[in-house]
Amino acid sequence: MLARTRYVLTRILQALLVVAVTYVLTYWVLFALPGDPVKNRLDNPQNPVPPDQARAIIEYYNLDEPAITQFAITVGRLLHGDLGYSLGTGRAVSDLVLQGLGSTVVLALVALVVAAVIAAVVGTLAVFAPWEAVRRLARLVPGLSLATPSFLIGLFLLQIFSYQLGWVSALKTEGASTVVLPAITLGISVSPAITQVLIQGLTEASGRPFVKVLRSRGLSGGAIVGRHVFRNGSIPALTLLALTIADLIAGSVIVESVFNRAGLGYVTEQAVRSQDGPIVLAVVLLASSLYTLINLATDLLYPVIDPRIGIAEPPGRPARRTPAPVSARAAADAPEPASASASASASASASAEGA
Amino acid sequence: MHEDRYAAAGGAASRSRRWDSGPQRLEAALSEAHDQERRIRRRRLLGGGVAAVAAAGGLTTWGLASHSDPSSAAAPSASDRPVRGGTLVYLDAESSRSTQPQAAGTWQDSAYLENITDRLVWKDPETGEIQPYIAESWHVSEDATTYTFRIREGVTYSDHTPLDAASVKRNLEWQARGDERNGIQPSTEWPRPTTITSEGSTVTVRLRAPYNDFLDVLSGWGASLVADRTINAPLETQQQITGIIGSGPFVVESEKYGERIVFARRTGYDWAPPGLRQQGEALLERVEVHAVTDDTTRLGTLRSGEADAIRYIQPADERNLADEDGFQVLAAQGIGATNQWHLRQSIPALQDVRVRRALQVGIDRKTLLSDLYTDNWSVARSVVTEDTVGFVDQEERLAFDPDTANGLLDEAGYDERDDEGYRTKDGERLSLVTVIDVYDATAKPLYQLVQSQLKELGVQLILRDADYSQVSEAYAAPDVAMVRSGWPYPAPWATLRTIWETSRTDDFAIEGGDPALDELLADQATAKGERARASALADLQEYVVANAYTIPLLKDSQIFAAKNDVNGLSWSAEARPLFYSTWLDRP
Repeated sequence: MLARTRYVLTRILQALLVVAVTYVLTYWVLFALPGDPVKNRLDNPQNPVPPDQARAIIEYYNLDEPAITQFAITVGRLLHGDLGYSLGTGRAVSDLVLQGLGSTVVLALVALVVAAVIAAVVGTLAVFAPWEAVRRLARLVPGLSLATPSFLIGLFLLQIFSYQLGWVSALKTEGASTVVLPAITLGISVSPAITQVLIQGLTEASGRPFVKVLRSRGLSGGAIVGRHVFRNGSIPALTLLALTIADLIAGSVIVESVFNRAGLGYVTEQAVRSQDGPIVLAVVLLASSLYTLINLATDLLYPVIDPRIGIAEPPGRPARRTPAPVSARAAADAPEPASASASASASASASAEGA
Repeated sequence: MHEDRYAAAGGAASRSRRWDSGPQRLEAALSEAHDQERRIRRRRLLGGGVAAVAAAGGLTTWGLASHSDPSSAAAPSASDRPVRGGTLVYLDAESSRSTQPQAAGTWQDSAYLENITDRLVWKDPETGEIQPYIAESWHVSEDATTYTFRIREGVTYSDHTPLDAASVKRNLEWQARGDERNGIQPSTEWPRPTTITSEGSTVTVRLRAPYNDFLDVLSGWGASLVADRTINAPLETQQQITGIIGSGPFVVESEKYGERIVFARRTGYDWAPPGLRQQGEALLERVEVHAVTDDTTRLGTLRSGEADAIRYIQPADERNLADEDGFQVLAAQGIGATNQWHLRQSIPALQDVRVRRALQVGIDRKTLLSDLYTDNWSVARSVVTEDTVGFVDQEERLAFDPDTANGLLDEAGYDERDDEGYRTKDGERLSLVTVIDVYDATAKPLYQLVQSQLKELGVQLILRDADYSQVSEAYAAPDVAMVRSGWPYPAPWATLRTIWETSRTDDFAIEGGDPALDELLADQATAKGERARASALADLQEYVVANAYTIPLLKDSQIFAAKNDVNGLSWSAEARPLFYSTWLDRP
């Protein structure tokens, strides 16, 4: 238990460090890059503001201060929970991020479910379908969806379900029905990696000796696949599912633009396009926090799915430097768990079902 | 165009209506029937009330009907009778960025401002004439430095505070001086210094010197009158449309960032410009504006029937949609500067007037239009549009003439050619750099076509792609030889002065400045009387075109598409859509 607490604490500290380093790096990059929305507005060739009038605006934003002073001001505000205001639109960054997050989290969660369903269906078909042709066809799906740009899928769905059939609105963004098309689009675009890994995991797991043992005990094919093979074969896919959070955030940029949703992706796109520092920093802060958090959660989830994976705690000595999940992943990825005999593995996974 | 650009204030005190200026003008206009806009204006002259361009299906515009044009007062037929009520769903090509009036300039933000606020004076979009609005009358002193405005009674902002002389005074001071504490810049077109006083129902503005653009400046979105609550608010609040409290025919009902703004009819609105046919409250109950940045989605949503009107469609779609039943394609060309390329004389090759002239006549404008655009666009015939005060046709100087261009380049010493066919002088290639306009979706093909036309002359044009966030750096790069400029402005000459004058933005980058140009710019602003000003403006246009400081290319068109049952969509003088007199012909 102690090891577990230590482990979790260390991981949280690591996560904080990752977030802080990312923040500083982003700040530095934004500062090093030329251009910002305020100067773009003042120097705009269409409506240039003469230098004497521009000075007051530059001072208003502290843009005349040296980099280190500006950084101190920004971090000082951040520590007070103040994310500042957009340089381009004057909106409170916290409002933008909250609005964006509310919209994108729903979209991302539904998209994740879509991706998981696609992966499960395609994976099962690709490995267990009794017909060779279906198996081959299913194995083509990940490559195909990877090769199709998501804006194309989005426009295609809009064309059919919104413009032609009129089932869903292309403009409204509230209500359950409005999330379906964007979620399918985003789900399809993030599903290939998960499907591919699941196909491989299932192929390997189904070839392992414990399957023979289970079969010899008289379990039905469905039970073997559903209760044992799937469980064994899904660990790498789960890891990937967590990594998919990055894909979801990145993918939302395009999907939200096509479906006219002002979620986090849209906010990010607008901010990056105009190099709106305060928003970019807030989004980076949020995304890096989310990413590290979800990965932490996944690592803690492994033992729940596969009891063979645990936080290593050798008797008499608290775990010091064993990054347990790494070895757990190695164990799960290994075709033959080195420490466990085939039958032990089989019974371990058989007993896991009761857990 | 699909852009997010900044345009600004500038113009003329009073002007005669372009097509009223004589039978020759009318003849000339009639002969150019290919020009959509003119075709419609002709119809208007011939007695109709139709003032907008409708490529498919007729569109009746009430809002543009001017009181100076009695022919438009003809009674509408039964089917033309405006219907009150309903919601117009309008898709904009960009989302709101900043509505702070003095700094606003994007197409979308300036349009929203004009729909929720009133200005002191109204510029008739057809004639360019300045007419009463919140100022019911005004008086200009003999020496043209003192303006006394009589403020209309009974006008209120949507927060029920009065729009009276005291409020106008405060607004004008705020426009003239900005507010450093709140991060508000002054209006770049306001003359300085000024003193502003109010007494009873009059407001008096005293200028140090005559300033012919003054009333035009007051007609633009940058001169929107707002309530004290807005003026007192910090920049961040003023940058939101919800932070702008105006007295206009619509109020902001709700807003969701990046998705939609809902404008509702202001109940009790009764102070529209007297020159408009539509009076009293707006006809529509609501206007729902959605920002749909994707061109395909925007058009698809219109076609599916979910939207009533959209801003900006690509030229290819324009042609397709015009052939379809149930839709109309509308083009609005505002009053102001034409789209032009300013030549920077900080580039050694451009210091030779022969090279500049060669570029000016070496570009075939008509081919640019016929290859890339539609009939809704037209070529530029000067640095300003035909309906701008003082316009003098420079077409003769600008006509495509490759022989002259080649001769001028030979004369300038660029008479050798290198392996790639480009002209050289002392072994150095005639090569120029420009930055592709990032705000305009149609810019790239335009720049590429100009590039290939110049290649014919042996001039290399290097096109540089700029990142949206680094526009100002890209334009400011020392090797950039030309930059694009020029859109409809409320006070075009004042804006051009800001852009051209040596002591201000100095776009021509002439070493040591050009005192003659600065003098011409100052002269037109202070010239006394219409005739003197017209002559000063003629001199100025001739000077910048004859010396080839700039290459006028085309007249900007704002392209809209709407369902056929959308009526009375009108535009301000700067081609911003106004929904005040718009109505939906549906049960």
